[in-house]
Amino acid sequence: MKILRWNVIEYFSGGAFVTGRIVPGAGVDERKDQDQGAGRDGDGEARSAQAAGNARRKLLLGGGLAAASAVVSIRPALANTAASVLNCQIPVPDPAKGMGQMIAPDGKLVPKGTKGAFPPSNRPFTGEEVKAALRSGRSLPGTSYDQNRAYLNYIRRLQNGTSGFTCYASLQMPR
Amino acid sequence: MTQAERLYYRDDPGEVLLRPLEGLTLIYHRPSGMTHIVDSPVPEILAVLSPEPRPARLLLEILAAGYDLEGEGEALDTLVGYLEELCALGLARAR
Repeated sequence: MKILRWNVIEYFSGGAFVTGRIVPGAGVDERKDQDQGAGRDGDGEARSAQAAGNARRKLLLGGGLAAASAVVSIRPALANTAASVLNCQIPVPDPAKGMGQMIAPDGKLVPKGTKGAFPPSNRPFTGEEVKAALRSGRSLPGTSYDQNRAYLNYIRRLQNGTSGFTCYASLQMPR
Repeated sequence: MTQAERLYYRDDPGEVLLRPLEGLTLIYHRPSGMTHIVDSPVPEILAVLSPEPRPARLLLEILAAGYDLEGEGEALDTLVGYLEELCALGLARAR
């Protein structure tokens, strides 16, 4: 919690890019109750059970405010000040998109068993590690020369919506 | 395949940190390092997503079991809209 709070302050003071619109109070009843539920990390089922046990709360889905976005996103703006950039993770490849696939020397995902391709990294790389590899030519930890090149090519090809993209994009931002 | 037929899920729920803040909810997404400030019904929708891919219609039923849904006629379309938005942010996935 402490770290999170620090990050947010850092973002705001560091010239953050803020996108999206917010509609305060849209579709909210008994906010306090909801906050208690939202404070649990990803515990959906427990939360649903809690919701069912208590007096039923209203949830606005539809109506006049339906089209309004309820999300404001803050991305780290300054690579050198936002701790999260150095600690953010880039999986190689995105587990959701590269399941059972390998990484070709040019960074593309190819079927398992493709000649010359490398197996997925057994752990995600941190922003710090990728930054060092891109800027100073240091290899990503635990990779061979060719494997490192393939992994970096994969990272350079990352597109929006792929896990690790925002982390990589943050590394590209000027100081 | 239409959006209503897509299956929505999310990776390890532990990769996001949710914290209430002044009536809104902060979501810190560890893999991307991004922070999202969200309002209802986003946290509620996120809470019913699990690693098991499920269609929007089923997610709506789960929500309806826990909440009194308002705007019912458009609820499914609205829910799909939110789910797609969550996918674009990397907080949810679809296939």
